[in-house]
Amino acid sequence: MKLMRIAGVSINVIATHKARTALILTAIVIGIATLTVIVSLTQGAQKLIMKRIQNFGPDAIMVHSGAEKIRGPSTAGQANISRKDISDIESVEGVKLASPFQVELDMPIKFGNKFTTAWVFGVEPDWKDAWRRGASKGEFITAADNDQLSKVCVMGQTVVKELFGDSDPIGESVLIGHISFKAVGILEKRGQSPVGTDFDNLILIPFSTASRRLMNQPLYSSMLRVIVHDPSKAKHIAAQIREILRNNHHLALTEEDDFRINTVEEVTEIIKSTSKTLDIFLLLVAVISPIVGGLVLMNIMLIAVSERKREIGLRRAVGAKKKDIVVQFLEESVLLTLAGGVIGVVAGILIAFFIGRYGKPISITYTPFVLAFILSTSIGLFFGIYPARKAASLDPATTLSR
Amino acid sequence: MIKLQNITKTFTTGTIQTRVLKGITFAVEKSEFVSIMAASGTGKTTLLNILGCLLKATSGSYLLEGTDIETLNDDRLSEIRNKKIGFVFQTFNLLERTSALDNVLLPLVYADVYPADARQKAIRLLESVGLGDRIHYKPGELSGGQQQRVAIARALINDPSIILADEPTGNVDSDSSREIMNILGVLHGQGRIIILVTHDINVARHAGRILYLREGRVDKEEKVSP
Repeated sequence: MKLMRIAGVSINVIATHKARTALILTAIVIGIATLTVIVSLTQGAQKLIMKRIQNFGPDAIMVHSGAEKIRGPSTAGQANISRKDISDIESVEGVKLASPFQVELDMPIKFGNKFTTAWVFGVEPDWKDAWRRGASKGEFITAADNDQLSKVCVMGQTVVKELFGDSDPIGESVLIGHISFKAVGILEKRGQSPVGTDFDNLILIPFSTASRRLMNQPLYSSMLRVIVHDPSKAKHIAAQIREILRNNHHLALTEEDDFRINTVEEVTEIIKSTSKTLDIFLLLVAVISPIVGGLVLMNIMLIAVSERKREIGLRRAVGAKKKDIVVQFLEESVLLTLAGGVIGVVAGILIAFFIGRYGKPISITYTPFVLAFILSTSIGLFFGIYPARKAASLDPATTLSR
Repeated sequence: MIKLQNITKTFTTGTIQTRVLKGITFAVEKSEFVSIMAASGTGKTTLLNILGCLLKATSGSYLLEGTDIETLNDDRLSEIRNKKIGFVFQTFNLLERTSALDNVLLPLVYADVYPADARQKAIRLLESVGLGDRIHYKPGELSGGQQQRVAIARALINDPSIILADEPTGNVDSDSSREIMNILGVLHGQGRIIILVTHDINVARHAGRILYLREGRVDKEEKVSP
């Protein structure tokens, strides 16, 4: 077949013009490798975000005291959720449980001469059901601990690592602020919150102890985590909770909420809006770098066309049609970009793996392969067509007689 | 056979028009060997390009084996060059970094049908021009005379009825020159039309007839007695 014979010519040219081939390949490889790395990283980040959203829980509704548009939990200082609010919410149809907790951020924690800061949560025993997270070792906070205002704590694994290293903390006493607490358990690992804070840099103590001894907030609760039976009703129940709180807090129609309610849907939206800007930027880089590769290809092919005028003229003289010349140069471009694409994807995935080993989340799917294949072929065609046309349009008589 | 009728060619550069050919009329009979004698700059290359279907005339008619060349499109002209015409250039025009064999096979890349015995045919042709032991040599490894013989083998691969030779001995030594002229003589003997363009009267005398080109016209014609 003529097409195959001309492909043979293209391959021969690629094989014999080594410097040119190397230059074009490098340009395409860099472009496609960049694309691959970025796709792997963005997909990895996406997966991580999805995992964090899973951490939040699709059946959870979070109620924050105070209306300030901040991220993360409200602290005991802002607390305005009353006992009555909680019991009213518990009686809403579809609510499985409502677990209040007191929060103080970044409290100083001491053990011997070791020091760290952590979020301190005052919790009821049902916290572990609300978060599906109990003690991986030792005990969790019990009802009795709450009744007796016990000074016991369950530590997150980051805190344990900071204060105890690899040794066993259970039974030891740590200072939270100025009060000594006995460690009774270690909290299950959870990773990062939807907004990226460390969910393991946490110490749990009894709700009552936190309210009365540590945070001086005996009346109100700063946070409430509500779990519903049916995740699809979460939005509807959240609206009912809002009504209850507005009523109980005697808010006039013109007044804004003095609390904040988050469902998984809203959390997802918040996260997506922040990652969107970055994604667009990365996408731009991902798309531009193969295009730059394409421009390099076009540039070198144009030089090749003017260097090979005689050859083109000769081919025309011995019977090549214009389209045969176009095909030859296009095949040359596409073969080069395809080869560059293959090498680029492999290089990109190796780089992504390397980055992944240093802790960045990556995800390797078939997407980069498909993208690279389509993109490198279209780059070869798009940036190759102009040089190819130029080659074909050369006048054979003038190119030969020089 | 070939028949040129009042062929003119005018080149336009910007607003300046240069009339290179001013009405050329001649005919070449089947299996005739014709030399075209011309000093440089008298339009001999232009005439050869028109004869070789690489260039269209500004006016006039050109019949090649009964086909009116001036009415054909680019693709058809390519086919005619591929099937009917063999070119031999002063500067050989071989592909660098490509073996003698592949150079000879080049026209077949663009043929509609690729003969099954192409390779054998190419080797036979190289043997017939005395290069049977050099088929894998690249142009850089061959002397000027040898390169020109590869180019002649290439011109023959499609078994053309016309060989157009533009100063084929211009870049080779006198021994090689004699050899090349002998080969052209053999090709003529096989019944092909040979049109040779040269400014060297001794080379031109190998033909049966010499056309003298002057100022874009055929100035005079001379029969060569064998």
